[in-house]
Amino acid sequence: MGAYILRRLLGAIPLLLGVATLIFFVLALAPGDPTAAYFSPNLPAEVLEQIRRNFGLDQPIYIRYFKWLGSFLTGNFGYSFAQSRPVADILLEALPNTLILAGVSLALVFLVGVISGVVQAVRQYSLLDGALSVITLFFYSMPSFWLALMLMLIFSLKAHEWGWPIALPPTGITSVDYEFLSLGERIRDRVVHLILPVTTLTLALAAGVARYTRGQMLEVVRQDYIRTARAKGLPERQVILRHALRNSLIPVVTLLGLYLPFLFSGAVFIEVIFAWPGMGRIIVDAIFMRDYPLVMATSFLFAVMVVLGNLIADVLYAVVDPRIRYD
Amino acid sequence: MRKWLGAAVLLLFMTACGGGERGGAGGETIVVGLRADLGGFNPVTNSDQYTGELINFALFTPLVQYDSSLAVKPHLAESWEMQGDSGVVFRLRRDVKWNDGRAVTAEDVKFTFDLAKDSSSASLLGSAFLANVASAEAVDSFTLHFRFVRPHAQALEDFWWAPLPKHLLENVAPSELRNAPFNRQPVGSGPYKVVERRANERIVLERNPDYPEGLGGPPPAQRIVLRVIPEPSTMLTELTTGGVHVDIPVTPDQTETIEKNQNLRLYAFPGRSLWYIGWNNSREPFTDPNVRRALALGINRQEVIDALLFGQGEIATSTVPPWHPLYPENVRPLPFDPEEAGRLLDAAGWRDSNGDGIRDKNGRPLRFEMLSSDATLNRSVVEQLQAQYRRIGVQVVPRTLEFQTMLAQHKARDFDAVFSSWVLDNFQMASAPMALFHSSIARTPLSTNRSAVQIPALDRLIDRAATTTDEQQLRGIWSEMTQLLQREQPITFLYWLNELAGTQSTMEGVEMAPPGEFMTIGKWRLNR
Repeated sequence: MGAYILRRLLGAIPLLLGVATLIFFVLALAPGDPTAAYFSPNLPAEVLEQIRRNFGLDQPIYIRYFKWLGSFLTGNFGYSFAQSRPVADILLEALPNTLILAGVSLALVFLVGVISGVVQAVRQYSLLDGALSVITLFFYSMPSFWLALMLMLIFSLKAHEWGWPIALPPTGITSVDYEFLSLGERIRDRVVHLILPVTTLTLALAAGVARYTRGQMLEVVRQDYIRTARAKGLPERQVILRHALRNSLIPVVTLLGLYLPFLFSGAVFIEVIFAWPGMGRIIVDAIFMRDYPLVMATSFLFAVMVVLGNLIADVLYAVVDPRIRYD
Repeated sequence: MRKWLGAAVLLLFMTACGGGERGGAGGETIVVGLRADLGGFNPVTNSDQYTGELINFALFTPLVQYDSSLAVKPHLAESWEMQGDSGVVFRLRRDVKWNDGRAVTAEDVKFTFDLAKDSSSASLLGSAFLANVASAEAVDSFTLHFRFVRPHAQALEDFWWAPLPKHLLENVAPSELRNAPFNRQPVGSGPYKVVERRANERIVLERNPDYPEGLGGPPPAQRIVLRVIPEPSTMLTELTTGGVHVDIPVTPDQTETIEKNQNLRLYAFPGRSLWYIGWNNSREPFTDPNVRRALALGINRQEVIDALLFGQGEIATSTVPPWHPLYPENVRPLPFDPEEAGRLLDAAGWRDSNGDGIRDKNGRPLRFEMLSSDATLNRSVVEQLQAQYRRIGVQVVPRTLEFQTMLAQHKARDFDAVFSSWVLDNFQMASAPMALFHSSIARTPLSTNRSAVQIPALDRLIDRAATTTDEQQLRGIWSEMTQLLQREQPITFLYWLNELAGTQSTMEGVEMAPPGEFMTIGKWRLNR
């Protein structure tokens, strides 16, 4: 297994380099200019030229590419054009925020999704199965930004208006007086700020997980080895949770590999609506600003997450299904 | 394991239900919601409007300051003496200190001036605003002598900028100034100082207890937290539920909600962004001033303002906004007159000869593309203009592009017509027409004269407006220039968009006027 992982990681290096090179040239060819978006139109042309020189944009593209590659390989991501500070600082500031939001959401997505899927499969065609199907499909087909605004409308705006005991804060990751709070209050503050964005993400994504789990579970419980397990007198609970569930997790693991990069690149609309200072907003702003160094670093990070997500999924296949081996 | 989990959940529940009175230790905190994060707090490298306001009103002390009617008043400079038209001598206050305790001196001002004028710092301040100031000389620690390149209008207003501390920045290379860590958390001299900054999230300002009484003294509020909330409707929710005290900016469609809510107050004041239709003056049919004039007469600007801006705009006649002291009161904007527009187009040879509803000339229909960026409001305005033009037999094809792509086409003069805006960076009126219309840069690649305007009579007026120092004469020139612009329509001025902000009605000391939303930030407080 160790050798397999190593082989995959080594194989990812040329892939990532290729992706980075492609992004570099696509960006350089796109219309627009990093000096255009945020500098006043009153700036004379020669000053813009000076800014371009300060950015190193006056050089031919292949020299820029090799310079960028050289510093990138030595771990230097350069300075952001738009924010005027090291790209590494920007990423280090935004990543923890994204990790909290993505981590909690990811855990809840799979917890809620798998539980709901299993319950539905075990009680197939029951009232509960139908109800859960309707509910999950309802949230699945709803545009997330609309769901986000509705949750905010009800649980912060109207909750405030109607004087509910707890009105959730609509935006931010902490209150403005966070540093003056005691430890217990700080935990509470963090949690209440997480509720709305996490709920939105979870409701939208858990539905898919639930559908896949249900489908696969129904398939697995009809297999011979499940009949064997029942025949040797195991309690139903053990049959389902130990023997059936593990093997029905294969498609769920595939989903995990897909959701991971999606969540870590930041669910952009969630971050915009709930003013969450994470990676998604950084990526989008950087693209609009033509902030080349920042776009390069973030898209590279995104590519790494895709590779990692796939690798984790592949490794987990072997964990959940003993029939799969990598030797 | 299960027990631990239960205990953790219980703890979480208890803390969640605790809460109660919070934040007593923080003193009075005012929370301001902003749509986008601010830039570096450095007057030399800054070119962003709100960042500039915080530099001038909260964090640093500019030499002179504007009052709400745009009259210039002493600030760091307690007095001045004009040296005819050739220069000015400032005497500085002695009681203004940097946050680290050192005095703000003439050396700092000279250092900042030289830095801005150094071409490798690529400064907007140095290149555009101080273009007419040649040199600075520190006569003594608190006296400065600036010499002008040439006599010019509104000379005193060249000095609405604040010095940087020389002792902290003299070792930074001018080309690296934009990236200096100083800019994120500067040592300033204003009523507030930056104590914390987290990108895209918040900037925390704390009152400066040493701010001199002569400039208004230390502010009443302990802290101001600037929060970044990108989504307008979320921001309004925060304002309504008390999460923020000040919301900048409000969108036009939100004004009614705020006005109806008695806990909130709406601030609307005429702004600095001018929206216009740019005609490509080097392309047919826009080479003909009569066609441009007809295209200006054919649109109902008030209808656009009422329908799409909810009344929050004012019709524009030139690059001088209606609230500026130099605005020529005697000039009327071109009326909405579709009949006259039709007559002018007929006379220019554009008639509907084949009866398809679109005018044509020599077999070519009067049809052109109008570029705009992809913001929803811009798209709606272009669509409304399209409908209005349709009624006078002109076919507009809207073309919406991502902002940077649009800008690239606009700059390359690769367009027929464009719906775009121009934002005044300061209140020196000569700079805008110089940039937009002067024929000396009409052929320069990527210059600001994107419409390729070449009108000799206009050039002469622009040059005179820049160099005339007598105010009475200056008014005459502006009045003449505005009339010429109405006649020629090198670009068609549409409207000035109002600046809109909302506050809790518990906020006191707030005044918002053309100098900016933050002009009285040093006086803001909460009435509990």
